[in-house]
Amino acid sequence: MTDTQTDPAGADALSRPFTPGAPSNAPELSEYRDLVKGPDIVPLADPKTREFVQEWRNASYNCYSSGHKFCREVCPVMQVTRNESWTPTAFHANVVAMERGELDIADIAADYVNCTQCGACELRCPNTLFTGDFYRFRTRTVDVVKAVRALAVESDIHQPQWKSWNERTNDRTHEPVLGQTPVSQERVRDWAEGLDIPIGGDTILFVDCEAAFYRTSVPRAVAQVLQSAGYEFGLMGEQWCCGGPAAEMGYVDQARRFARHNLDNWRTTGTKRVLVLDPHDYITFTEDYPKYFGAEFDIEVVLVIEVFAELIRQGRLTPTVPVNRTITYHDPCRLNKRKGIWKEPREILRAIPGLTFEDVDRVTQWSYCSGGGGGLPVEKPELTAAISANRLDKAAQLNVDTLVSACPWSERPLSEAGDARDIDVVDLHELLAESLGITVGGSRGEVGDKRAATARTGVPQPRGRGGCGGGGCHSGGGCGNGSSGCGCGCGGQH
Amino acid sequence: MSDVSRHGPSAASAYRYAEQMTPPDPRRVSMVALETFAHVYEVDPRLMQRWVLQQTFPNWDTLRIMNSRHDHLDWMHAHFAHKVIPGSELLAEVAAETETVPVGQEGQR
Repeated sequence: MTDTQTDPAGADALSRPFTPGAPSNAPELSEYRDLVKGPDIVPLADPKTREFVQEWRNASYNCYSSGHKFCREVCPVMQVTRNESWTPTAFHANVVAMERGELDIADIAADYVNCTQCGACELRCPNTLFTGDFYRFRTRTVDVVKAVRALAVESDIHQPQWKSWNERTNDRTHEPVLGQTPVSQERVRDWAEGLDIPIGGDTILFVDCEAAFYRTSVPRAVAQVLQSAGYEFGLMGEQWCCGGPAAEMGYVDQARRFARHNLDNWRTTGTKRVLVLDPHDYITFTEDYPKYFGAEFDIEVVLVIEVFAELIRQGRLTPTVPVNRTITYHDPCRLNKRKGIWKEPREILRAIPGLTFEDVDRVTQWSYCSGGGGGLPVEKPELTAAISANRLDKAAQLNVDTLVSACPWSERPLSEAGDARDIDVVDLHELLAESLGITVGGSRGEVGDKRAATARTGVPQPRGRGGCGGGGCHSGGGCGNGSSGCGCGCGGQH
Repeated sequence: MSDVSRHGPSAASAYRYAEQMTPPDPRRVSMVALETFAHVYEVDPRLMQRWVLQQTFPNWDTLRIMNSRHDHLDWMHAHFAHKVIPGSELLAEVAAETETVPVGQEGQR
């Protein structure tokens, strides 16, 4: 409803239009009153909901009143479910309904599980893509989803797997990425066995839980490539989980507590710079930590991929060992969509001899996702598997034998989907190390890299579970598959 | 202002809080618009205080949106535009058609 009237100073906005606040306005217009009247707000009894709505109503109306719905077809969940309640549009409309008192958090909490927080919807939204920087106001689906999940937890509404996951993370200070096999503080540096990396120092390498305990070949590759270039770094004194996954699932207090621990620990070892190999950590350190700590967060955060690309440009790394694979590259959502980082991974891939690279451009990949983010594989593994299968179908159309990713969290579901299509999933860091002549070691997860294992052992590797697949598990780190059936030809010597 | 600060850090440069939270000094380009980074324009924030709440944008986010927009427009052209026709060519075409229509028959085309 819009109401107009002549203002006290005598100016009539209808007869002589002007922009309120414009520097060119006559002085008497500076006090022109805002007479646009909005709907009456329903008073909400629950203070937590009221506070939530007050914070997010603007962002939600931004979506609800536009209704372009360009978000739908780039949303990985929508692509495989076609469920209208799980769209970015619905996630915003629900907040509008909450403000009107027509829904409460108990009605909608479960719907918000169905989001990988890949950021495709908010980037593709015209309110971001075409006007976000102009109005300094963009669509924030990821933040809205995180806020709804946080409101649910605060209201004691839990998703069962998320609750258990975060309780176990709290107990162990690391995520339970090995299932029933416990992770622990004592074993967080096991992946680095035999690499002679000091503790602490000006620059440290932060290794996320998935890479530290499950895909240990990734941090081993990163560390050895850095060492081969003479790049000095250490390991964290007492590394805890970054806290990012807890924040994604709504367990904000826990996330903040873990963040506080890590920042304090960096202080004790004189650390000024944190190298990050995992895109999820990169988001946590460059978006969550700055929100928690403000200007106190004076740690420099550097993505390892950027370091590698720079070292190649400087000639300090020169890949010379041909890697004879036909590959395509999976742009990790948190690099490409959420950070705009797509160039450096391609620079590295193009420096590796022997590769046949079937590239898919970064804009097309806005609609690609592994399904491995936002806690989705913890609460709904079947939905993650469907999204990964969708991604591998696209790779299979290119007739590639290998899908290269740069995100350990994507590699587990993608590997499982790839196994059914005879496509190996390899990490970019692993691939670069191989081309530098480095025997990486460690585990490439349960599925593994069958082509590498076959090449190394001379024994054809069957498809299906089991195999550190060419990781060279003698070199430390362990493949996490116990003592049998890993398929890497090591004879169970993990 | 240096060329580097006008164009902003590369997408994957090291993240430093103070650097990211300090936008470049804006340059006024019209009565209502400012230019911050090169080719990044925004409404004078003073005009946005009543109508649209301003969000906090670290520099990387501003640049990401601007770069993604260009990427997307290039992508659209590559996928849907078979050729680019300059406006002058269209105007010349319209003018030529107008000249050939007999007087009194303009509405009968």
